[in-house]
Order: sequence, then structure tokens, then C-alpha cells
Amino acid sequence: MAAAPSSRPFEYLESLPGTVFFKLYQQPSTALAIFRRMLPDLAKCFVMALLYLKQPLPAADLEVWVQSESLKERDNALSILGRLHILSNTVTADNVRAYMVTDPFATSLRNALTGADQTQSFGVLSHVPSGSEVSIAGLDEYARRQWEGVLGYMVGTGGLGTQREVTLSKGVKELLQAGHLVEIRDRRVEITQDGFAFVLQDVSTQVWHILILYVESATAIGMDSVEVLSFVFLLSSLELGKSYEKNHLTSKQLRMLTDLADFGIVYQESPDAPRFYPTRLATTLTSDSSALSNPILGALSGPTGDPSSKAGTGFIIIETNYRVYAYTSSPLQISLIALFTTLKYRFPNLITGKITRQSVRRAVEMGITADQIISYLSTHAHPQMRKHNVSRSTSNQAGIPPSVLPPTVVDQIRLWQLERDRLKATSGFLFKDFVSLAEYEAPCRYAEEIGVLAWKSDQKRMFFVTRHEQVAAFLRSRK
Amino acid sequence: MPRAVRGVLIECDPSVKAIILKYDQERHDYIVEDLDDDRHLVIKESQLANLKARLTKELDDKVMQPDESESE
Amino acid sequence: MNTIDATEHYETSAHDRPPSLLTIIVDTNPHAWALLNPTLPLSTAIANILVFLNAHLACNYANEVAVVASHTHKATWLYPVESTTTRNSSSKDIDGDITMRPQAPSPPAPSTSINKYRPFRIVEEQVSSNLHALMTSTTPESLSTTTSTMMAGALTLALSHINRRTIAWNEAHGGDITNPNDPPNSSSNNTRGTPESTLQSRILILSVSSSTGSAHQYIPIMNSIFACQRLHIPIDVCKLSGDAVFLQQASDATKGIYMALEEPRGLLQYLMMGFLPDQRSRRHLVLPTRVDVDFRAACFCHRRVVDVGFVCSICLSIFCEPLGDGVCLTCGSRLDMGDYGAKPAVVARKKKKKKVKANGPSATGTPTPTPTPGP
Repeated sequence: MAAAPSSRPFEYLESLPGTVFFKLYQQPSTALAIFRRMLPDLAKCFVMALLYLKQPLPAADLEVWVQSESLKERDNALSILGRLHILSNTVTADNVRAYMVTDPFATSLRNALTGADQTQSFGVLSHVPSGSEVSIAGLDEYARRQWEGVLGYMVGTGGLGTQREVTLSKGVKELLQAGHLVEIRDRRVEITQDGFAFVLQDVSTQVWHILILYVESATAIGMDSVEVLSFVFLLSSLELGKSYEKNHLTSKQLRMLTDLADFGIVYQESPDAPRFYPTRLATTLTSDSSALSNPILGALSGPTGDPSSKAGTGFIIIETNYRVYAYTSSPLQISLIALFTTLKYRFPNLITGKITRQSVRRAVEMGITADQIISYLSTHAHPQMRKHNVSRSTSNQAGIPPSVLPPTVVDQIRLWQLERDRLKATSGFLFKDFVSLAEYEAPCRYAEEIGVLAWKSDQKRMFFVTRHEQVAAFLRSRK
Repeated sequence: MPRAVRGVLIECDPSVKAIILKYDQERHDYIVEDLDDDRHLVIKESQLANLKARLTKELDDKVMQPDESESE
Repeated sequence: MNTIDATEHYETSAHDRPPSLLTIIVDTNPHAWALLNPTLPLSTAIANILVFLNAHLACNYANEVAVVASHTHKATWLYPVESTTTRNSSSKDIDGDITMRPQAPSPPAPSTSINKYRPFRIVEEQVSSNLHALMTSTTPESLSTTTSTMMAGALTLALSHINRRTIAWNEAHGGDITNPNDPPNSSSNNTRGTPESTLQSRILILSVSSSTGSAHQYIPIMNSIFACQRLHIPIDVCKLSGDAVFLQQASDATKGIYMALEEPRGLLQYLMMGFLPDQRSRRHLVLPTRVDVDFRAACFCHRRVVDVGFVCSICLSIFCEPLGDGVCLTCGSRLDMGDYGAKPAVVARKKKKKKVKANGPSATGTPTPTPTPGP
């Protein structure tokens, strides 16, 4: 199955006009980041295969290249490439339909691969006098503290925790409000449903969410979205533990740097320092959704304030009888776990509780999904649970994906959510009034192939699609 | 001549569909197309939020929830 | 509001794809490259390979590459190498390609090479400097003694590297406590297990030497092939010149891709189109495969490539000529050769049926079967 592009950044990018893409793709780092992060596997193969072709590749040739069983994946890949303005339809010299990689993208990606880049888009390394470099551990610690501060502010633990208070800038608070992650009621911070969903996501998704919010708000106050986005993609291609020159950045980018430092995405000794360091939050941006077991997250989830002692990953143990044991004293983690469990006892370094029907329902009503709960639990599962799982999965050859969590708990959490799910709404377009079966069948099959078909009835000659542009174009082309 | 109509496809179980049909009979302002099997129908996009709120309330009132008293 | 609506509850989060490790074995046999020089000089080929490596790294944040050189006398790592001693050596490149010039990490570097995605740069610097070191250490005397390439050694190096990376990956994957200073590619892996969520490894051999030279490595090569087959590591073969019998079998046995390039100048395009897709993408693609695989083996006694030979019935060793004393050279089993070599008693065929019929009705309907030599 071709993996879905990570939804939120993708949706945002897709909504941009073509001219923005044209400007964005001038930067090799942007082309590389979008290629790596937004495209499914098959689309990557297509782009690379076409990248160094001088002539456009006839569509028929591309179609022969793909197995006949994988039509769906092929059309999905082509559709995504089209929507991101990476692949365009042309005709070859002898008037055959063909594909080619669009130009600023192709040139930039080639430059990224060969290193023939003149635009400084991968940053300029700064020479730090030896002795004053910031260590990777230091950067991790900084990123962890800032990011946890942001989450703590949202969940409302900032005041009662024992950890060092992180002072959040006004800009951060405003951004969280603008993104409807928190609301201010009676001068008190209250987390919204979106916020709940947000705090349970993995760190990489959270960072993207914040960055997209940032881009949106920056464009609202008149900053150029291209400039902001290119800078985000530039950050994603920097190397952890290296410092970079600031002096070739524009004034707006310098301002962004200050803003992003508040989130822990970059680090600078002071706003006037001549260089900045990307933290792990920035450098793992183009990884797949899992920066999972990386030290930041490990430290985020583990006992706070002392990431070096236990750089391990997980701290939650779940038994098949729904009991939860979490080795943590972090107020943030405790309040997160309390969102979907009924807590029972609290010890200095351990809390215990139970996942119940009511606690899950309460979470679902707050807008948290079963999948979020499950992914949170498995992300933070204790190493002991993983070991147990590994030993079990080697003996299990049946091809059932082994889960870190007890399957019965996972299923039950899903079932409890399903109780509430009484309908499924898909917005889109209903195609009807086809004169003949033949007239109905062709566009219907086409819609299925490009993956937009949601429902069809051969009897009534109607079908429902999520996007109508391509189907409408298909209908027109057949006339 | 084929036509495309904007709307929201609702997939639900027959009981919920019956409830939606009942709402629609009041003023005929929900349904764009009843798709004739007992699980699908297309409704107006503008009414989706309204419908969800109404259904949530109605189901919470009417559906029996097993009592949970398994305290330890 | 959405508590009743299931739609948003099934958003699948971005699916984690396990990274893949691509190990390239470059045949650096100077004899073969000298022959190939007019069409595709080694420097151009290396430049193409580097772009291909970058393309592989570009596909996934956690993707890894490794490069092994299969030289005339030894197989050696081009990337990754631990020591940085080679960096201090003369930074002149074998082909003068400026972008590949190894950069000592000194501050005022020319902006052309500094502005490059760091992982790409590191690979390029190491590969080109190590290759340069390898070439300068090759003396004319050492070349005159042999014309073959150490393919078996290179395969073994590649396999051991893959094994090491897989174990490291699984450790991180199994949730063991990872060192925060680990490179990100070993620690940023997914933890939700799916059956195929292990490091996906594959080997690409860029072959230029001919098979005749490598026949003496038949046994180690075949052993490596069987190891790959067992570990589900496809061996892709990109053949630039010559014809390597065993490598055809390698890609055939491991379900890899075999391509003999008709136009070596288009190397990069062949690499990008044919060899870049990893195992997961290959499921969706129609791949170039070779139908007529050359299954010939080399004999164990003289390392000759044979069409028909003698096989020990105990250990399946292959010999090009009957054993003198009937003892297998590999396992020492005493084999009963029977009366091998004795001329079978050939009975002359009866004359053609037609003639028989014409001659008289006395002939029987069925001709005598072809006589077989007695036991």
C-alpha cells in the first residue's frame, strides 16, 4: 500500500497556488525536502526515473512499467505528483501523451543531488572558536525543555510542576491561540479538542503542525509564504550539532529564527549571536513520522530534568487486564495519561491506573481518537514490553503485525470508540443521471483508479467521489 | 447528460439512517439524494454540523448505556 | 461535535517505512576500466554512482549506503570508513571533479561545495578520497600478476556490513536503550512492528570484469549468493562490460535485477530507473529480468567453467573430468565410477522403416529402442 502523504503539511502545500510552488522549487533544499517527505514510494521512483531523461516519458511507457495489480498505487502517485506541481503532462514530438518533471523542481533536485547549488539553500556553516561549541546533548536538552514547556503550557501543568519554569514568549502563546490549540477563558488557559489531539501526537507531527501554523500566521501578517516555507525546508536539511552563519539571512528569516528558538526548533546563544544551531526537532523534519525513539522524545517521556540518566524511550506498561503502570513523575505526562485512563495511585516515580470504557469514552468525547491513544501508548511503551514483543513476533510467522501493546487492549479501545461512531461523513460530489450503463461505467472505473471513489451503485448509475476535477475532465475528454 | 451534485455522503447503520429520514420529513431540508440501500445517503453540506449535533443529543438520550460500576 | 462522526477517527497517520540499506560493490579492476575508457571513464562512472547514492539517500531520511571496491588484489571499503587519516592526504582528485574534492573541515571553504546537503557531501568526500588512496596504492607490478577482481571478498564484506547494520537496527527497534550520540539513522526508527519492518538491504554490483578471471572464486561467490538468498537480500547486477556467469546466477537466485548495459554512457539513467526502487516499490513495478540465465558452474578441480561435468553424489562438488582414483577431492568419499570410460556397445540402428516396408512385409512394426550401455 502506498503510504498516505503526511496529511497536514501536504494539505497545506496543496492549497497553495501554482506560482508559489514555482518560487518554492527554486531552492534545492525545498525540492529535496518535499521529495523526501511528501511523496509515496512509487512517486519517488517516478521522479527519479524521469529526472535525468532529456525527453518527456510517454505515458504509455510509464504505464507499462507498473504492475497491472498496482494501478491504484500508480494513479495515487501520479495524482499526488500532479497536485504538488512536480509532474506535468506534455506531449512528445510525435504528439504522444507524456510526463515530465516540471522545471524549477527538476533543476533544483538535480542541483541538490549533484551539489551544483549556488543559492546557499543548505545553509552556510559557521566557524566556531573551539571550546565554545554547543554539544548535541546540550541542544537536545534545550529542545526538550522548550518543547515540553510549550506542551506543559497547553495542558496547564506549567505552574504546578517541579520542573524549571520555561518562559514562553508572547509569540508562542499567540500562535497556539491562533491555531485553536488553546483558548483563553477568564485569563486562564484552556486546551481545546484540537489541542488534546495535538498533545498526543508524536513529536515530528507536532512540529510540523506548529510550523504550518506559523507559516499561516506569518502570511496573515504580510510575510511572504515562500520565504517562510523555504526557510522551514532549509532548517530541515541542516546538520545536528553544527552551527550556521546568520549573516546571509534576510531580516524576516532572522525574525523567524527568534520565533522558532522559542519552540526549541533552533538554538541561539542570544538573539544577536552571529550563528545559530538547529536542534533535533529541526533536523528530523524530513524523516518519516517517527522521530520516535530519539533522545528528545525519550527525555520528554522519561523522568523530567534528568534526560542523561535514562535516555531510554518508554515508561508505560500495559497489562492485558487494562491496568496501566507509568514510571514517570512528569506532570505533563501524568496529565496526558489521565486524559484516557482512570488513575488510581500515585507514587514518587510511578502512577497506576486502568483504561476503562468510561475513560476512553470521555477521551473520545474530548476529541481524542482511539488511534491517538494507541499510538501514544505504543510510542511510550516500556522497553520491557518491546522486548517481550520482539521475542513473540519472531515465533509468530503468520504475518499478523505484532503489536507492542496487548492486542486485546488495542481492540477494546477501538471498540469503545466505535460505539460512539454512528455515521461516517465524506464530503464530495454525487455523479448521477447517466443515460446508459456504458456511459456510467467508464468514469466510475476511472474514479476508482485515481482513488477518489467513495461509493457507487451500478443499479442506480450513480457514484460518489471526493474530488470531482479529474472525473469532470475525464467526462469532458470522452465527449 | 450526467450531472455532479455537491453534498456529503453519509455512511451509517440502518437505524441511524431511519432517524435521519425522520428529520428530513419535517421540512425536507437535509437530504440531497436518498441512495436507496439502507446504509448510504447524501445530505447537504450546510446541514452536516446541525445533523451531527442533533443525532448526538438524540442518541445520548435514547440509547441505553450499560452502567459501569466495576470499581476495584 | 464530531463525537458521532467516524470519519476523523480513521485518519491513518503517516505510515512508517523502514529505511533501506544499499550496498554498492564497484568493480575497480583497472584492466577492465582501461578497456572501457573510451566509452565510460571510471571518473564519469563514479560521478554517476555518487549521484545515484545521493538519490537513494534522498528517498528516505534514514536510508543508508555503503560502498565496497572490488579491486584486483583486495576488496576494500570506500564508505563508510572509520578513520579519517585519509582525509589529510593530498586532496587532489583522480579525475579533477571539483565537487567531489574531499574537504577538510576547515572553515573558509569554497561556497560551491559547502552548499550541499551534508550527508551527500560526507559520502562523496569519503568515496572519492578512499578511491584515490586505493588507486595510488596500486602499483603496475601488482597489476601485471592478475586481471581479475576480488568479487567474493567484496560480497563477504557487504554481507557482514548488512548483518551488522541489521542487528544494530533491530536493537534500536527492539526498544533497547540507545546512545543519544548514535547517528540518527540507527535510532530514529519506528517501533510499531510490522512483519516487514526491518532494515531492507540490497546489494548492487557494478561489474566490468569478465567471468574467466573470477572462476577461481566460484565457491566463495556461490556461498555468498546462498547467504543472500537466505537473508532475502537481492543482488542487483549492472554489467558494463564482459559477461559474468556467476553474477547472472546471483541475481537470479536472489530475485535481483540483472542488466547488461548496451550503452554504458547512459549509466546514470539505467541506475535511476532500474536500480533505485527498493524492495517495497519493486512490488509495484515491472522489472527487467533476464530470461536466459547462464547457469554454468565452475569445476572444483581446475576452476574451469563447464557445461557438462561430473558431480559427487555425496557433497555435490563439480568436476570437469573423471576422478582418477574415484575419491572426491572435496569430501573424500570413495565413489564407484562403474565402468566409466568403457565404450558402450552400440548396436547399429535398423534401417529406416520405409525401406523395411518396401522391402517386405516381414518387418515388425516397432523398431528396437536405442541401445543403452549395459550397467
